[in-house]
Amino acid sequence: MTTAITYQEPELVALLRQKEETAYRYLYDHYAGALNGVILQIIPDQALASDVLQEVFLNIWRRIETYDSTKGRLFTWMLNIARNAAIDMTRSKAYQNNQKNRELDSNVDRNVDGTTNSQIDHIGLSKVIGQLKEEHRVLIDLSYLKGYTHDEIATLLQIPLGTVKTRIRAALLQLRKLLT
Amino acid sequence: MNVQEYIESGSIESCVLGLADAAEQQEMERMCAAYPEVQAAREAFEASLEASAMAGAVAPPAALRDSLFTALQKESQQSGSTPLASAKITPVISEKTSPVIEMKAVKESGWKKYLAAASIILLAGSAALNIYLYNRYQRSSLLYQDLLAQQQQLAENNSTIQTRVNELENDLGRIRNPNVQPIKMTAVNNTNSLTTVYWDSTSAEVYLLVNQLPKPAAGKQYQLWAIVDGKPVDAGMIDLKPKEGLVKMKNIPKAEAFAITLEEAGGSPSPTLTAMYVLGKV
Repeated sequence: MTTAITYQEPELVALLRQKEETAYRYLYDHYAGALNGVILQIIPDQALASDVLQEVFLNIWRRIETYDSTKGRLFTWMLNIARNAAIDMTRSKAYQNNQKNRELDSNVDRNVDGTTNSQIDHIGLSKVIGQLKEEHRVLIDLSYLKGYTHDEIATLLQIPLGTVKTRIRAALLQLRKLLT
Repeated sequence: MNVQEYIESGSIESCVLGLADAAEQQEMERMCAAYPEVQAAREAFEASLEASAMAGAVAPPAALRDSLFTALQKESQQSGSTPLASAKITPVISEKTSPVIEMKAVKESGWKKYLAAASIILLAGSAALNIYLYNRYQRSSLLYQDLLAQQQQLAENNSTIQTRVNELENDLGRIRNPNVQPIKMTAVNNTNSLTTVYWDSTSAEVYLLVNQLPKPAAGKQYQLWAIVDGKPVDAGMIDLKPKEGLVKMKNIPKAEAFAITLEEAGGSPSPTLTAMYVLGKV
């Protein structure tokens, strides 16, 4: 709608805090796609991802006061809300029952090693993750996309906790290099 | 810790991606505040992350935008009433609105009440009028019946009088008849009695008028006799009724005198002379 207008981030944040609808429309028009892309890596079903995306924007509206620009970019804050909302969805009983049914129907959507959906492997963040070394990719998938704790990953992969931490750090540095 | 070593530790990425624990997060904030290089490194990673996400953007369904902003507007209206100042206003408004609705309801039911009251009053009035009119009808009906009875009575009276008048006219006609001879029968033996016989000598008809005769004892009856050639001839039994007028007796073609005696009921073949009450000569 008002995509012709561009806001400087402090200006946009100020308007968002005033609950200006135009600011939220701007935010949606600019970032909904990016956030949707990330959510789809966690929840491949677009219908469910849409529910999460709506919840994400409602949460941005509700929690904009808690955003502290000194601690990071607005997008980073929104990305964390989106990731947490998506992971919360995957942990809901309804979603897990649904997934089990889907797995019974077919396991085409998932790679053998349980990594990301093959359909969107070639774009954006998932493309970057896909370029990681196998051992790094698994760790990013489990920690970032599935939300497992270091302890859980250690148990899951049967490797020491220290090794999990070291490898995740290495994977993240690898990710940074690929991103820049 | 060496700044460069920190930057290369992967801690910044861990924090930015939300994978770090609270302690790690606090350390990064401290490092960012203390070292512009660390801050710069964090910002660079955030920017590249955003760029990557933008590159991997997948447009959500078009319908979601409308649905989201409808939800946001609803949220906005709800949250608009959350602050204290307006939180107090909301119940006031709802209190204000509900009396308006109630007034409407009262107004409506009041209108209906008046209508109902009016109907009841009309009904009561109608019932009262009915009772009044019914009473009047009954009174009129009674009056009518009375009048009808009176009229019948009058008619009867009239008919009686008419009959009486006819009888009297007949009587008068007989008396007026020039052939009829009145014979006054005066008391015998101090009986204080008086009767009159009207005798038509041409037609032999005999009529008796009882002016005064004592009431006969039970089982007794007066009998009229005609004296023909010195001998008494039965001229008929006298039925003493409270009727004034001429009573037709037996025809007597010839007589010298008439007499009445008190005899056994039903009459006697010959008169009891001791019980003679009146006698009149022709």
